[in-house]
Amino acid sequence: MFWTVTLSLFKGLGAATQLFFLTLLFALPLGLVVAFGSMSKWQPFRFLLYGQEKPGTVTRTLAALRPIGALTNVIVWIIRGTPLMLQLIIIFYGPGLWFDKNIWAFGSGRMAACTVAFVINYACYFSVIYRGGIEGVPVGQREAGEVLGMTKRQIFFKITLLQMVKRVVPPMSNEIITLVKDTSLARIIAITELIKAGEAFMKSDGITWPLFYTAVYYLIFVGVLTILFNYIERKLSYFR
Amino acid sequence: MSILEVQHLEKHFGTTQVLSDISFSLEEGQALSIIGSSGSGKTTLLRCLNFLEKPNAGTISVRDEVLFDAADPQTQLESEIRKKRIHFGLVFQNFNLFPQYTALQNVTLARELMARDHDGETKEQIEAAGRDLLAQMGLADRAGHYPHQLSGGQQQRVAIARALALHPDILCFDEPTSALDPELTGEVLRVIRNLAEQKTTMIIVTHEMAFARDVADQVIFMDGGVIVEQGDPHQVIDHPHEERTKQFLSRYAEQ
Repeated sequence: MFWTVTLSLFKGLGAATQLFFLTLLFALPLGLVVAFGSMSKWQPFRFLLYGQEKPGTVTRTLAALRPIGALTNVIVWIIRGTPLMLQLIIIFYGPGLWFDKNIWAFGSGRMAACTVAFVINYACYFSVIYRGGIEGVPVGQREAGEVLGMTKRQIFFKITLLQMVKRVVPPMSNEIITLVKDTSLARIIAITELIKAGEAFMKSDGITWPLFYTAVYYLIFVGVLTILFNYIERKLSYFR
Repeated sequence: MSILEVQHLEKHFGTTQVLSDISFSLEEGQALSIIGSSGSGKTTLLRCLNFLEKPNAGTISVRDEVLFDAADPQTQLESEIRKKRIHFGLVFQNFNLFPQYTALQNVTLARELMARDHDGETKEQIEAAGRDLLAQMGLADRAGHYPHQLSGGQQQRVAIARALALHPDILCFDEPTSALDPELTGEVLRVIRNLAEQKTTMIIVTHEMAFARDVADQVIFMDGGVIVEQGDPHQVIDHPHEERTKQFLSRYAEQ
């Protein structure tokens, strides 16, 4: 029985791992895009101020508007402000319920829907961590690059990026460890991840220990990640 | 012929006028010291020269070429500014070395990036030049050290080498010793003094009056965003004409 359970849970771990890596693969870069969006200073209505001695309240508000930054912040607010479980339900069932078209009706459709929900959710959380990392790099670093005639691109990739990475590793490790355990939400749309795989034995064989046995899998998963993050932090400790 | 010509420069942040009608010129090979109390606009002036701030009016010309004209948007394009700003080098008050690079890499980074664009010097040439500059700063044995492994004075000397690496026409110092422990200022001032002896064109914003008098060929005293007095260092510092200069210097003498 022990081996049957162990093997069955391994299949659950497979699904959880797949979701974990797919989410990281897309959410890590997307989070950076969202971070830049939320920091966007683009003010398309600034021209309204030109040649105005005493602009009115409406004009001033419109001129100060940063549409990309504002829109991004609203999206981040909504995503961070509602449960991931709800987002998952909306993304999976929404198209079928409201548009009468189940876009997830294919082989690995459930996993795809789940990945989309997780990527959007985690990209928003990552974006805030990235922003903290970017804004935490002193302005003087950018200015030093500027007076040396570097382009904005060069300044980001050659100066800011690594300093940002160093700053975001500890908060990122937190978020990524949370992601490991959030994969258990996938069972809401009937993906057999670890918890669902363990629980199945309660119904079929009337035993409860497989459910608690799943904890061992999570602990090992998170243990490996912890070692990895410690390694990265050590690697980046050569500078301050 | 003067190498730098600044005319009628103005800068305001919102409604606060920080610089008004700043005009001066600098001869090649000469050192100019700018003195004045905090908030007098010295640092803003330096930042305008390095295009870290955009002046609201006035012109900046180097070797008779107008680099910046507040009235001409053509001179303010991002790509243009980037090329023009390397006429100037800037040494910051708090060094701003890149922490993830060694002393040598700090010095060579910008030149390597430029060589990549223009297919210029080889990496070896740039590195050799960088080592020479560090040796000139007395830091030959610190090339492989990271900034956090260096003392403040050593970090500032690396920063000077970094600014010199691009051969600027005019090297600017923004209070280069203000962030240093008193016992470390000497080594940095000595390096700047050597540069002055080698006829490096420099603008030095400083609170070290004795140093300003000894090193500079010309001194500007600023107060409230205007140039109150300018001229020969002995005249401005030892025998000032203006009341505001006298007051400022006497406050210094008391300390």
